[in-house]
Amino acid sequence: MPDPVLLARIQFAFTVSFHIVFPTMSIGLALFLAIVEGLWLKTGDGLYLRIYRFWLRIFALGFGVGVVTGIVLSFQFGTNFSRFAQMAGSVLGPMIGLEVLTSFFLEAGFLGIMLFGFKRVGPRLHFLATCMVALGTILSASWILAANSWMQTPAGFAFTDGRFVPVEWLKVIFNPSVPYRLPHMLLAAYITASFLVAGVAAHYLLQQRHVAFARRTLSMALAFASVLIAAQVFLGDLLAGVVARHQPAKIQAIEGNWNDVPRADYLLVIVPDSQRERNSVQLGIPLLGSLLVTHSVDGTVPGLRNTPPADRPPMGPVFYGFRVMYLLGTAMFFTACAGLWLKWRGTLFESRRFLRLLVWMSPTGLLATLGGWYTAEIGRQPYVVYGQLRTVDAISPVPPGAVLSSLVAFVLIYGLFLYGFLRLTSMAIRKGPEGDPQPAGSPPAVRRTRPALAVLRST
Amino acid sequence: MDLPSLSALVVLFSLTMYSLLDGFDLGVGVLVLFGRAGDRDCMVRSLSPTWDGNETWLIMAGVALLGLFPVAYGVLLPALYLPLVTMLLALGFRGVAFEFRVQPGARRAWWDRAFGIGSLVAALCQGLVAGALIEGVSVSGHAFSGSVLDVLRPFPLLMAVTLVSGYMALGGGWLYLKTDGLLQRHFARKALTCSVFAFAALGMLAIAGAAVTQSALQDDWRQHGLRHAAVVLLFYGALYAAVSAARSGSERAPLLWCGAAFVLALTGFAAAVWPDVVPFRISAELASSPARSQALLLWGFAVVAPMVLVYSALGYRVFRGKTPLVAEDES
Repeated sequence: MPDPVLLARIQFAFTVSFHIVFPTMSIGLALFLAIVEGLWLKTGDGLYLRIYRFWLRIFALGFGVGVVTGIVLSFQFGTNFSRFAQMAGSVLGPMIGLEVLTSFFLEAGFLGIMLFGFKRVGPRLHFLATCMVALGTILSASWILAANSWMQTPAGFAFTDGRFVPVEWLKVIFNPSVPYRLPHMLLAAYITASFLVAGVAAHYLLQQRHVAFARRTLSMALAFASVLIAAQVFLGDLLAGVVARHQPAKIQAIEGNWNDVPRADYLLVIVPDSQRERNSVQLGIPLLGSLLVTHSVDGTVPGLRNTPPADRPPMGPVFYGFRVMYLLGTAMFFTACAGLWLKWRGTLFESRRFLRLLVWMSPTGLLATLGGWYTAEIGRQPYVVYGQLRTVDAISPVPPGAVLSSLVAFVLIYGLFLYGFLRLTSMAIRKGPEGDPQPAGSPPAVRRTRPALAVLRST
Repeated sequence: MDLPSLSALVVLFSLTMYSLLDGFDLGVGVLVLFGRAGDRDCMVRSLSPTWDGNETWLIMAGVALLGLFPVAYGVLLPALYLPLVTMLLALGFRGVAFEFRVQPGARRAWWDRAFGIGSLVAALCQGLVAGALIEGVSVSGHAFSGSVLDVLRPFPLLMAVTLVSGYMALGGGWLYLKTDGLLQRHFARKALTCSVFAFAALGMLAIAGAAVTQSALQDDWRQHGLRHAAVVLLFYGALYAAVSAARSGSERAPLLWCGAAFVLALTGFAAAVWPDVVPFRISAELASSPARSQALLLWGFAVVAPMVLVYSALGYRVFRGKTPLVAEDES
């Protein structure tokens, strides 16, 4: 039977990775929906209402999957990591409890009105419900990031009688990495939603369907994305500094060097060999590594050998998790810039190559977010509470067979959820926003062959 | 009252809210399997706007246990690994069925059945959990020391069936309130009556079985026989009132009486278990988190929970009245 610690971790990694995709979308789409509904109330433009109704449907699908996969996590602390729960529950439990009280109930309480209440309440109360749901997603992210950041940079506690005891709650909650990691995650969610919205809009523009809808949403999404990504690049750099100060081993693994390297390459491909403490293969861009990490080409990039072997995270997954996030983030940055440029030139809605790129880019926010979380969580290893409690000391006295069989069940059933979600979402996209006026008497096949003319006609 | 007692009350309150609110959701879910194909949509739709908030009480109860009694959380969750993981998967099934079934192009009949089966399995698992708690889990020190298969014993299995019948009674009460026409007069009333009778009979077996399997309960019966007998009598009185209210045509009363029976059962059991939070094994005092932890969550609960109750009530109010047979608005 395989290693019980590894199995417990794989199960948790699977369920949490699957879960985080959906809140990331929900956090972003909830704010988008609140803005759209607010604009509708303000301007009375029916197009905003159509945008709202269309994206509400997809939001509801994702939210549902997010809720049911999230409940699982609140129990897995106990089923998979019971010793962690007993030792750290007194610190993390109250924070997650406040998350449930201030956020889960808020989201759940107003979601019903948001989804089913159009004809039951007035537009203002409905808008209030949307705003409450959006607020709930932000509060939820805040508490969970506070709890997770405490596991990364623990503060405000004492360790007595074999357990963590909160000494100063404000220091626990506002631990050193929270002020950077929370906005980093919120921005990630908003950027993710922007690219999803932009991707769907681009898809419609390429097909010459729902053109007014697509133009409006694409403009909004690109405007959001370009501002947010610029902020994210700046924030990411600050966060890297915080990680370097508090979790040096994580930064060493991210950079992919074993020894300290002056004037270092920015490595893109490595095959780390932890036995010999070297990379058997490595490829990189000269000098860029030192420039990015130390902001000077002459700077020295620290290697993982600075950390004793027993305290090292596995280099490969941390390195590649970060590369996925960083390179996709860069790609999104340049895509948004190109979009602004095309918009300024007035050719955004016609440049098919760019629209096709946007369709391909639509899931990049999600992938980058996953990459970032892998970096953060695997980079914290071998600790579950950094520097304080090792993961091997945290698991439950449950036989590996039970963990393995439930892991299989999770994979199968979550697979079904994902299939259902993707199938229904793509059907909703294919169906398109309701009540969108189509140019009469011209079937889609004809329009698709003459895109430029069709665009002219529908403007 | 000291912090551990208040903390235990918060956990009990959350569990009670959950069993009442998601109880009728799960009960309706099981009844969907018995309903006519034409009625199923209306039955499920009666729950759609509020199910999410109802289920949140389960997270509240679980997380309150983690923050207030981490020792108990760490003992009980591994002990209940099998029913809990199965329950979570079943609840997931039910939850996505809720959202997916209303989508254009979804196979509604398929998802309705998934909804029903998910509800049934979740309810059975919760009964197993209740049974395992009454029987008592194996503990050494502050850790679970038994086998994950311990829950599959006769008494937990009896509790599983009992709880399903109880949830079906709640679900019948809910449908009786939220539907009209034939669905109310024939299906909901019959479902309510049958479920209440089943719940009453199985409840009797469960009460006897609890006393047989858990010796601490026998001692408790000997010491506080009168109190226990009073709770049992009131429990049966509430069930009787539920059935007779349905016969006399009062729409809200059956649900409320079934709910009262649940509250009686839960508080009766909690009183018999107190001062333990891992029933008959670890006391609230020993399982408690430090005072600062309990104080923070209790303050949060005292401030926020009343607001939660208010806007949850607002949600029910917005969607009050009969659920229309045909969907009026599915965004």
